Amino acid sequence: MEDFAGGASLPSGPDGKKRRVTYFYEPTIGDYYYGQGHPMKPHRIRMAHNLIVHYSLHRRMEINRPFPAGPADIRRFHTEDYVDFLNSVSPDSTSDPTFSRHSKRFNVGEDCPVFDGIFGFCQASAGGSLGAAVKLNRGDADIAINWAGGLHHAKKSEASGFCYVNDIVLGILELLKFHRRVLYVDIDVHHGDGVEEAFYTTDRVMTVSFHKFGDFFPGTGHIRDVGVGNGKYYALNVPLNDGMDDESFRGLFRPIIQKVMEVYQPDAVVLQCGADSLSGDRLGCFNLSVKGHADCLRFLRSFNVPLMVLGGGGYTIRNVARCWCYETAVAVGVEPDNKLPYNEYYEYFGPDYTLHVEVGNMENLNAPRDMEKIRNMLLEQLSRLSHAPSVPFQTTPSTIQPPEEAEEDMDERPKPRIWNGDDYESDPEDVEKPLRRFSSSDVIQPATDVDMKEVSQDFKEVKAEKQSSS
Amino acid sequence: MVTNGAGLDCVEIVNKCQTKGGRLDVVDHVGKDLEQFGDNKDRLRCLFDLVLSGHLKEVAWKGFVRPMPAMLGNDGQSLDLLKLFLIVREIGGYELVSKEGLWAFVVKELGLGFQVSASVKLIYAKYLFELEKWLRRNYGDREEDNACGGNFSFLKLEQEEEFRGLFANGVGREGVVNKVALMEFRKHKKFIGKDSKNGLEVSDANSGFRLHDGVGKARGDDAGNECKKEFNTRKRKRKSLSEMLSWIMLVAKCPDDPSVQEILEPSKWIDHGGDEFWIQAIRAREALRQKRNGHSVIEQSPLQTNQKMHPSMYEDDFLNSHFTKRLRCSERLTRSNSCSCSHCGSSSTLDSQLTCLHRTHSEFGPKELSSIAIDLSSLDTSMTVEPYGDDSFRRQVAIGPLFQAEVPEWTGSVSDSDSKWLGTRQWPLNGGKHDLLPVTDPIGSKRPISCSCQIPGSVECIRFHIAEKRMKLKLELGSLFYHWRFDGMGEEVSLRWTAEEEKRFKHMVQSESSSLNAFWSRASKFFPEKTRQDLVSYYFNVFLIQRRSYQNRVTPKSIDSDDDESEFGCLSDSFGSYSLKVPGSNTLTCSQNNQCIDLE
Repeated sequence: MEDFAGGASLPSGPDGKKRRVTYFYEPTIGDYYYGQGHPMKPHRIRMAHNLIVHYSLHRRMEINRPFPAGPADIRRFHTEDYVDFLNSVSPDSTSDPTFSRHSKRFNVGEDCPVFDGIFGFCQASAGGSLGAAVKLNRGDADIAINWAGGLHHAKKSEASGFCYVNDIVLGILELLKFHRRVLYVDIDVHHGDGVEEAFYTTDRVMTVSFHKFGDFFPGTGHIRDVGVGNGKYYALNVPLNDGMDDESFRGLFRPIIQKVMEVYQPDAVVLQCGADSLSGDRLGCFNLSVKGHADCLRFLRSFNVPLMVLGGGGYTIRNVARCWCYETAVAVGVEPDNKLPYNEYYEYFGPDYTLHVEVGNMENLNAPRDMEKIRNMLLEQLSRLSHAPSVPFQTTPSTIQPPEEAEEDMDERPKPRIWNGDDYESDPEDVEKPLRRFSSSDVIQPATDVDMKEVSQDFKEVKAEKQSSS
Repeated sequence: MVTNGAGLDCVEIVNKCQTKGGRLDVVDHVGKDLEQFGDNKDRLRCLFDLVLSGHLKEVAWKGFVRPMPAMLGNDGQSLDLLKLFLIVREIGGYELVSKEGLWAFVVKELGLGFQVSASVKLIYAKYLFELEKWLRRNYGDREEDNACGGNFSFLKLEQEEEFRGLFANGVGREGVVNKVALMEFRKHKKFIGKDSKNGLEVSDANSGFRLHDGVGKARGDDAGNECKKEFNTRKRKRKSLSEMLSWIMLVAKCPDDPSVQEILEPSKWIDHGGDEFWIQAIRAREALRQKRNGHSVIEQSPLQTNQKMHPSMYEDDFLNSHFTKRLRCSERLTRSNSCSCSHCGSSSTLDSQLTCLHRTHSEFGPKELSSIAIDLSSLDTSMTVEPYGDDSFRRQVAIGPLFQAEVPEWTGSVSDSDSKWLGTRQWPLNGGKHDLLPVTDPIGSKRPISCSCQIPGSVECIRFHIAEKRMKLKLELGSLFYHWRFDGMGEEVSLRWTAEEEKRFKHMVQSESSSLNAFWSRASKFFPEKTRQDLVSYYFNVFLIQRRSYQNRVTPKSIDSDDDESEFGCLSDSFGSYSLKVPGSNTLTCSQNNQCIDLE
């Protein structure tokens, strides 16, 4: 039982335990510039880094400067023509006669402009995510962060939605060298179409995207898009409407991810933390607070599975910096003071100069009834994953509430400490214990359906126990 | 005040011009000298040119040179500013023309091709809009009664009358604007406009996308009304389908119209890369034909229908590959478009096809596509939308080796992860194990509640504390401070700029904020000694911070760090720290900055 005090935690250990965090930062990233009036501003990554350092969060992490991904590395996903194009194009070449043909073919132009140093930017972004993957592969870190990554719209041979090179796909491909199954979770307000498409036909990667759907870019991510062939039911889409707030989001995220973790049993998780799902985003239409947003990370972290944390969208840059700084703090396991420390970009955060800001008072167009319908539909879809031959599957209860354990988990978790700058107290249990990760001997994961069944039955027993006791 | 200044300036110019460079101080001569010009039109033109150049000179004095004659786009076509001015004026002014989307009409009236309408609008905004506003300010309330008149208070009464007379009688009598055509155009525009209220905003691929900007902003702490502004400015950037439709109507009505461009012979269509209206129309027709033939395809397996063409197909068979590839985007849309739509009637199918076409031939990213697509589907108001979205919103995922990543089967054997990807470790320093690193000085954890500054919370106070914090950080990080480029963060960046350069930058941003992409190209001309990176860095690290510190103290209800296109509004000459400068605080600022330099 104790293991489940962490609620969502897999049997490997309780939550609240310290994680070894590695963070990738390219110091020149803030100098890249998409062009005037373009909402995507790499400067936000620099602002986030600035906050992170001024909160002294760097002292609890290892920080690496990424190795830039070369054309050959990027070709592990992208087509040769496209990579060559990205590698050769520059603002000067837009006058080239062949450019207009290429720009159409690769969808470069308005949304995805050709800017100074475009390839260098892609290299840094992809290099960071590859580094994060390798860090997890080697077991050197439990959580690896790359805020310059998360560019989830890029397609195999096409730029899309401000994204050119899909660092996520490259990172996952790297993770797949060591991990049998990788779960991808996307909380950007836009659908994670590039990643979903890349892994639409495989069951080695499961993609779960929470996004605004209907009258919104990119238009994919319908609830009934579930994957094809081997990948059928390994793509999960949670279509949402405007004004999504913390409570509604959590009411979907937790039960769905809980179930996904149970049935899919991923060996590694990639979380895309697009910050355009925050309240007041310039392009987004959700109403999440930074804490609500970071709750997704908190929840995934509690499973003790190697976790890659990436950036993504986010177009109100002061809030992006707030969000990613706070999420870095969540990753290392501290609760930063709400009052921002003095920092170079202090004025950006006025007039309150706080880490957390009030959410807007927009109407939540997601009716509870609809949310329940979506939840049931998706949980039902997830249950089909276990519908492998000879595995009986219990039908899910009709009224699905967020698992009770999850709630308890929040209550029982050590109270967030207001971090006073002292070193993180090292409880005996904090002493580094190997997490559930691979050593060479257990690399081959038992992954038969029987095993899956056993695990999920264990879960059920625990649940039953809990229910009877309560 | 401005009026007077400009007025005097103009009169001076008028005088100068008439004496061909010689100086003539007597204003009375203006009227007399004007008479030496032939007919009214010429007189008007001369006076107009003089007033305009006077005005431009005033603008130039602020540091923005507008070259004369005004050139259109790349072709170096010069533009008749007077005619442009009169046309716009007669229609009702810049704002009305923009609001009603009549620029295409204006361009047509000028006898130019539709493709330059954006440039014409820009030129109007740059050269003439100020003049228009200035004139309007002068004759105030009479504006509405007198559609084409002016009150040049700086001129003597009789001159003013003459000039106004010239406006009213000279050119105005003949009518610069083809009234019938304008009515037609307006009617047509209204039609489109009506549609767009129902969501059929095919006319502007970007608008939906931008609308979301607006929504986000309105909801957030940024001023809601800005969305409208941006919406408009952005619209200008795109060529719209509605223009193509109006072009078709125009051709149908008057095939001999000079603005109808030459249409290439059919054999050249396929290779034609341009986006003129005629080729758009031809592509639309092609799309419709393909659609009809394509119906049978729809029921095939998703694997087949979603097959994209090989990229190389683009090169040889431009039209076909595009249509085949993109057809999938239209399939679901057409279904939703079988709705009845009273005012667009039978055209709805066409419109939906055009959406597909638009996508096909546009350079616009899909981010915009979706907004078109959804706008179309939302036409069907009778449709009950499921909470998880209707099928009509659905875009299929493409399947095939051109789309999916190659995922190897899990073999159980682990291949190598190249350790080069670990990059360069920068922290912890000196290769220490970071878990064991003693964390002592808790900087950053707490911000003191109060400080002993003269005026706590002032710009200077905050600058001082930031500098203090930087020093501490520098001590902790050592060389890493520079590796992480902290030296290039924050207002410190301005130390590399002279006061004069900073002033120029501010002026440039203020006046160029509405001219979109022109800004940075101009910027590099204004600052030949600065790299683009310097300019961008200054923009984010100094300019925006100063703008934000102004907002934080003066307009805390309306703050905005992200809309770099909107006007700077109240931020006139005195903004940022300048408007808040406390007498006697200069020394504090300086010493604080010097402290930092000393440390380096």
